[in-house]
Amino acid sequence: MESLKLPATGRTPEVDFDFAQGVLRLSGESYPDDVATFFGPIFAALRAFLAEAGGHPIRFDMELLYFNSSSAKALMNIFQMLETAAGEGRSISVTWCYEENDDSMQELGEDFAEDLQHVAFTLKQIPADGAS
Amino acid sequence: MLAQQYAGIKRDLDEKGIIFSFSGYLSEGILYSLGEALREKMTLEETDGPTVRRVFAVFVEQMQNIIRYSAEKVTGAREKPVELSAGMVTIGMEGGKVFIVCGNTVYNADVPRLRDRLEYLKGLDKDAIKTYYREQLREAPEEGARGANIGLIEIARRASEPIEYDFLEMDEGKSFFCLKARI
Repeated sequence: MESLKLPATGRTPEVDFDFAQGVLRLSGESYPDDVATFFGPIFAALRAFLAEAGGHPIRFDMELLYFNSSSAKALMNIFQMLETAAGEGRSISVTWCYEENDDSMQELGEDFAEDLQHVAFTLKQIPADGAS
Repeated sequence: MLAQQYAGIKRDLDEKGIIFSFSGYLSEGILYSLGEALREKMTLEETDGPTVRRVFAVFVEQMQNIIRYSAEKVTGAREKPVELSAGMVTIGMEGGKVFIVCGNTVYNADVPRLRDRLEYLKGLDKDAIKTYYREQLREAPEEGARGANIGLIEIARRASEPIEYDFLEMDEGKSFFCLKARI
């Protein structure tokens, strides 16, 4: 399946889904003016990828610095898709990165992880880059 | 006379500790530009990263509430309609804390539900807000809601004190609604 790559914009994250390798990454900030328009194609690609039989193990790196509440709903949707696929036997690991001292992002990671049973979830502290 | 009038407005803002204010029609584009200016200003003042993000997070939710729910709107009929919603946003410092106050008109019919929700949030402690957020994150969007209904919870969660709100009835159709969050 073809990769999905979208460069970051001022208010949307970089999307780098390398489906052939099973390595997916979201990084940056997310507060799109229209959440459905931005996340729609991401959901569609992910859904198609997860439906493929017997694929690779999947590694999902969440490297978000900020997202608004509408994006949180969209991320929850992604987590639920991953959890369902993992429950059906796909090997899936998610790494949630947060900058040191950023308690908000750490807690948000815990919010998403709370009811995951099949996805292997890791919180990872990364150094702050000094910028906001 | 002109300078005197506007100096009066500025003095009012200064006295309330307001360092940043906007009143008029808001759009997603204005949200973006004001948000960037706000972050640049705080970064120049060497505010730490997480605080900048908390202020910014509250700012975004407050602005998007106005854009979505203001009772005074102008919408264009183009393919991707421009949505301009009247309201005001002010950001200031008070007792060493940043505060954000937003104001906009709402329909009187929407007041009871909004008031109930805010009153409920106001009464929750930090842990209860977190639990409530987690629950709502897993809920399907409410009928007729355009955004996530967790915007207000997000504001309460990022605030360091309980949120403050008020309504002022303007006529039989509309009220002025204010929401204040201290970070």
